Amino acid sequence: MSGKRIIKSIYPALILVVLYVVITTLRSVKVLNGYYIQVLMFASINIIMTSSLNLVNGFTGQFCIGHAGFMSLGAYGASVITSMVFKNAPAGATIPVYLLGLFIGGCVAAFFGLLIGIPSLKLKGDYLAIVTLAFGEIVRALLRLMKPIGGARGMIGIPMISNLGWIFLFLGIVLYALRNLIYSPFGRAFIAIRDNEIAADAMGINTTFYKITSFVIAAFIAGLAGGLYAHVVGFIQPDSFSFTKSSDFLVYLYAGGSGSLTGSIVGATLLTILPEILRFLSEWRLVIYAIILVVVMIYRSEGLVGGKELPFLRITRKDLYGGTLPQASSAGGKEET
Amino acid sequence: MSFLEITNLSIRFGGLVAVDDFNLSLEKGELVAIIGPNGAGKTTIFNMLTGIYKPTTGSIVLDGENMVGLKPYQFARKGITRTFQNIRLFSNATVADNVKIAHTMHNNQNLAKCMIRTPGMRKSEVELDRRVIELLDKLGLADKADFLAKNLPYGDQRRLEIARALMTEPKILLLDEPVAGMITTELEDMARLVPQIRRDFDVSIILIEHHMNFVMPIADRIKVLDFGKTISEGTPEYVQKDPKVIEAYLGGGYTQNGTA
Ligand SMILES: Nc1ncnc2c1ncn2[C@@H]1O[C@H](COP(=O)(O)OP(=O)(O)OP(=O)(O)O)[C@@H](O)[C@H]1O
Ligand SMILES: [Mg+2]
Repeated sequence: MSGKRIIKSIYPALILVVLYVVITTLRSVKVLNGYYIQVLMFASINIIMTSSLNLVNGFTGQFCIGHAGFMSLGAYGASVITSMVFKNAPAGATIPVYLLGLFIGGCVAAFFGLLIGIPSLKLKGDYLAIVTLAFGEIVRALLRLMKPIGGARGMIGIPMISNLGWIFLFLGIVLYALRNLIYSPFGRAFIAIRDNEIAADAMGINTTFYKITSFVIAAFIAGLAGGLYAHVVGFIQPDSFSFTKSSDFLVYLYAGGSGSLTGSIVGATLLTILPEILRFLSEWRLVIYAIILVVVMIYRSEGLVGGKELPFLRITRKDLYGGTLPQASSAGGKEET
Repeated sequence: MSFLEITNLSIRFGGLVAVDDFNLSLEKGELVAIIGPNGAGKTTIFNMLTGIYKPTTGSIVLDGENMVGLKPYQFARKGITRTFQNIRLFSNATVADNVKIAHTMHNNQNLAKCMIRTPGMRKSEVELDRRVIELLDKLGLADKADFLAKNLPYGDQRRLEIARALMTEPKILLLDEPVAGMITTELEDMARLVPQIRRDFDVSIILIEHHMNFVMPIADRIKVLDFGKTISEGTPEYVQKDPKVIEAYLGGGYTQNGTA
């Protein structure tokens, strides 16, 4: 492997590291206050949420509209682990317990993803929208009834372990894994289902299996994001994950551009930060925000990045061969025949 | 028993019997054409042979195994793949990816390996890419490997459909009007390509086509369909002279030379 190639393969991680160093430096010299850092953490969590939703809606061509439901399952799953099950863990175990919590949160969300994915993904696309919408609301209603984990008032005193470092780390891992997945036989099967389900089926692709796979992976990642979120704010309640929350992710996805990870990054980042910038407008804030969205969708219906992808978020045929395509052995083979 | 044994295949849509008592014994390496006027039921036969429609009655037996009731993807896995009359490519994927997608069922890299992109997984991707380019080269599409499928000219799209079907490694290839809408030179290319595919890929081919000129020189046998019924079958020479065929074609507004 050449030096150039090594650099190429690690520079996306480098970007995150540099970004992290710059931000923490700015924070320590008091240019950025805690509020900015928190907005950045929310933006990153929203990128994770949006890109996982993108896997299902953008790359697999399904229509899931209850993604906050999976986020809440992850948030509760992780919080139960860190602030109930291992409440009295020794100080040294804080991080392992936190990581375990995030993992369990993801698994809980994935399990429910499987549970509702199997029946609904066998049916035609529109059913998924309705089922996921209902699912999000059912989860919220049930959590409200579960007194041991706080009921409608929610859980408080969750250790606030998630910091920018952890969140950037998971953001990096999630984007890397998703990119790898999309440029693999799995991702190609997802895209085939999106572009032409009948043809995908006719080419030997078990469409139900791949739809469920995509859905469960997305649910796991959303659960992970929920866990990260709970440990930023230290307090969660069922109503934090209502349909309004789900629709935020849909907006980030389509405004940024579905079917592109870059779109999810751009959409989630800009639209997390924008309402904060517009705070000076007080009551008018949401009106202006909505108007900006309408304008974007009218003039760029493909989303802001419109299907394009940053170099490190895609894998071209050239990349397979480390930068240069092999010379075709018999270019123009058609004439030879 | 033949390699593919289709017996008394019929399908009914409400009052319409779209295919009535269709029979075909296909041997390994054989090339059989199905011809007939519009609406004769040709595509409907392919839809039954690929699991998209379930026949009302009759059986499809491939290599001794009953196929009726299987799902479309299972037909492909057992070795029957097709092209579509109304082209169905993965239009927002590249030409190379369209072909790679057809290799999914042979993929042996699991989810974890794909997400981590292990060295083994990378190697298998490179190998797959080489094979795909080789295949595209045979169909004259190698230089367009990175084009989006939707940006290909019509004739290339038809050839890409064939490349994609071949990548599934079929035993039986079903071609639904592979030269529809093609210009004469493309048609001549295809007339050379189809027999070459049969030889190089060791497949049996069932071919639906309106163009008599295209079918006659390459088919071993021809079945003629009209209103769902088989009205004639035999060698191209025989079928061509059969009065029933001439009548069906003239009655349907056809000339012997091709499309209406
Ligand atoms: N799903 C369906 N429901 C109802 N009728 C159908 C269905 N599929 C096909 N048919 C009917 O079956 C008949 C045969 O159609 P088919 O598409 O097989 O014809 P074809 O021989 O392929 O014609 P063409 O040369 O135009 O492609 C037509 O009358 C068509 O309308
Ligand atoms: Mg047809």
